[in-house]
Amino acid sequence: MENTRELKFEQPSFFKRLKGMLGVDFYRLFHTPLFYIFLGIAAIIPALVSMGAMGGGAEGEAAEATAMFTNAWQIIAAKSPLYVINDMGDYANMNMVFIFGGIMISIFIGHDYKSGYVKQLFTTHAKKQDYMMSKTLLGAFSMVCMCVTYMIGGMISAAGTGLPFTIDAGSLICAILGKMIMSLGWASLYTFINVIFRAKFGISIALCFVLGTGIPVIGAAAVIGNTSALNIFLYGSSVYACLSANFASVVICLAVSITWAVIYNVCGTLILNKRDCY
Amino acid sequence: MNAIEIRNLSKNFGQKQALQGLNMTVPQGAIYGFIGENGSGKSTTEKIICGLILPSGGEVKLFGRDYKDPDVRAKVGVLIEQPGCFPNYSVWNNMMLQAANLGIENAEKEVRKVLKVVHMEGSASNKYKNCSLGMKQRIGIAFALLGNPTLLILDEPINGLDADGMRIMREVLINVTKNYNCTVVISSHILGELEKIATHYGIVRGGKMIAEMTAEELNANCRTYVALKAKDMTTARAALERKYNRVETDEEDYIRIYDGVQAEDVVAYLYSNFNIVVTEIKTSKIGLEEYYIDLMKEGR
Repeated sequence: MENTRELKFEQPSFFKRLKGMLGVDFYRLFHTPLFYIFLGIAAIIPALVSMGAMGGGAEGEAAEATAMFTNAWQIIAAKSPLYVINDMGDYANMNMVFIFGGIMISIFIGHDYKSGYVKQLFTTHAKKQDYMMSKTLLGAFSMVCMCVTYMIGGMISAAGTGLPFTIDAGSLICAILGKMIMSLGWASLYTFINVIFRAKFGISIALCFVLGTGIPVIGAAAVIGNTSALNIFLYGSSVYACLSANFASVVICLAVSITWAVIYNVCGTLILNKRDCY
Repeated sequence: MNAIEIRNLSKNFGQKQALQGLNMTVPQGAIYGFIGENGSGKSTTEKIICGLILPSGGEVKLFGRDYKDPDVRAKVGVLIEQPGCFPNYSVWNNMMLQAANLGIENAEKEVRKVLKVVHMEGSASNKYKNCSLGMKQRIGIAFALLGNPTLLILDEPINGLDADGMRIMREVLINVTKNYNCTVVISSHILGELEKIATHYGIVRGGKMIAEMTAEELNANCRTYVALKAKDMTTARAALERKYNRVETDEEDYIRIYDGVQAEDVVAYLYSNFNIVVTEIKTSKIGLEEYYIDLMKEGR
């Protein structure tokens, strides 16, 4: 058979591939109500927490709830790195964003598989590592956005509580920055979980919820005590980014987050490469 | 160089052997009709070629390179089952997203071009979920054509298409092979339609390739026969069986003689030797469908 076209195979560069995939993912993110719903939830939850702290119920409950916070910024982060939970005040802070992020990423990736988008994607030049990276970056971006709306929602609602806003600005910035940096590690964990369970995103959501709430680390802390060794875990470092944080805390968050992101991306890529995609 | 070369391909799903040492050769520029019963391994083979599932063993080469090579993958257009579209997005947006994934420059122009090819340019603003099955198949073809592919893998692309849709599909496939030297692998159960376009055939059964041939070879295999009806059918059949090797009676009660005979010779033979009058006679040829069914029967 005569050839009428010379065959040329171009090498699509890593950046070209990733740019294309990120472009699609971000287009989808900004065009899905899911993202805005979760941004809204992230803003409303601290308001609900503040209302609880003000005491929405009986007088006794109100007094108890008010004791949860002594400073308005505690709605963003705990005063000190407490891995063992004594009361809701230690727990109800910006770390909750990582739970919402897990649910959102699970739905997003589950939809990739359900719609057949993954099938379409992996028949092209797209590499599995590109997919892991793209979803990790997208998830991290979503959680950073949720951190911002959480902070806005938290501050507006905290303003109504009458609690003092006095704080060391440097520590506060380090705490917020630390939590935002942790988004990368969390996003890679959730992406990893989702490439295992794929279209069965109900299981992924449940697992993301369990890990996002920090139950395993809290459980470990109950056994081994409140030790900084727990910072090697995503939840541990997320707790470490507290209102007494400093530059070293940010560096630890950065190191832990990047390390886990690399581990989960490599593991996720291996799983995608070793399993049938569809 | 062949577009596809598969050697000894196997795939196990747990205990089930979907492919058992399948070999396949698809020459460049061919329209390769890939036929087989349900569960024979067609889709599994196509999914392996597309990189969607991993083989348990064997070798797959596309244009002489490993099938996983991203350079080659960038030039493979695929439609497996239905296109992977987001139901709430418009056809246009879905196409643009796929164009972005493929890194196509001047994506709008390219998307417009392929939508025109499949006669879908007027439905670009429709939400994908509102499209009919036939429209979805056409969108799938448009997806596969994005990025000027060198190889098209189409799994049951004509299912659900109306007569016009099938005509368009035929035009598209002939056009891409003729003008762009694109190679097409197309699996379908609609053998009559496949017969109109395929230049090569591969017939698969039980995870093995049982026959590969060109359209010319198929023509040679699909023998002509003489079909007749006579006043005394029983005597006629007995008389014909004395002289000819392969005589059969079909579902419409015609006696078929496959030995490459001329109709007038048969008439003369029956009348002059047995005084049997032939009431109806015609010369026909078995098509792909009948050939395929015969081939499948032989294996059972």
